[in-house]
Amino acid sequence: MARAMNEDERLLMCPENLREGMKLGPIFYVVMPEQVEAFARATANANPLYTSPSERIAPPTMRLQDYGLLIAAHFRGGSGGIHARHRSEFYEPMRVGQTVRTDGRITRTWRKRGKFYFELEYESRDAETEELLVRHAMTAVLLREGAMQ
Amino acid sequence: MNVSAPHPEVGRELVGEPYALNEAEAHAYAAAIERPAERHPRPSIHNDPQAARKAGFRAPIAAGEQSYALVANFLVDRFGVCFLHGGKLEAIFLKPVFYGQRLTVHARVLARGRSATELEVWVENEDCDRVLTGKASVPAAEHESELA
Repeated sequence: MARAMNEDERLLMCPENLREGMKLGPIFYVVMPEQVEAFARATANANPLYTSPSERIAPPTMRLQDYGLLIAAHFRGGSGGIHARHRSEFYEPMRVGQTVRTDGRITRTWRKRGKFYFELEYESRDAETEELLVRHAMTAVLLREGAMQ
Repeated sequence: MNVSAPHPEVGRELVGEPYALNEAEAHAYAAAIERPAERHPRPSIHNDPQAARKAGFRAPIAAGEQSYALVANFLVDRFGVCFLHGGKLEAIFLKPVFYGQRLTVHARVLARGRSATELEVWVENEDCDRVLTGKASVPAAEHESELA
């Protein structure tokens, strides 16, 4: 049966629905030159690695926000998350034109001083070769029900 | 810098160029992180005074990851593309960054090993308050590891 267009089966973003081991994703995208240029401009970076036709690699954290897409694909909600900590391991640069797959997993949840924290690990790979490009872990505190900002 | 640069000696402090994080830069950053845009923008602590106040901030704040991006970019600029072949970065967001603040990336060499150089990294605002602190590891360039 076809679903109504406005039907939203995503879980509410709240502590009760964030569980350790929960898998998020995958999401797929192509590394676009427009994004590389826009990101370099926004961060006032003129390194030719990002603009030279012979290089065309993506700035290291250009797709760091993939965590937001992973969360938004699984959860709905208002406002109320704050990014507290971030960790990255870079294996290979993302290159313009490359198709990338990103998968995530909730690795830890805990409460401290009345606040709910969670850690989300996510990694990006070349969608065709599965070569590992980057692995991130972000820690956020959920102030009240709602999605990360 | 495209090639791997020699790593500085232990104790040396490296400082980046100041970066003014105004609303325009924040909007440009927000527009750049998702291409094509996949989510509808909604009121948040980054763009809505009321949402910011509810979360305990006097005004909207910049995304912490924009400061984090400055550090990562700085490491590539300073050490070359080798940072993207085995480099590591970890940071805690200590203080909010309000629009109009000027940020400067700092790094201090803690150790130089055969395989990597370890650094303390931080970002200061114009009052010399740390808004981000952390550590980084940069793989030794091939010619350096051969000489070590």
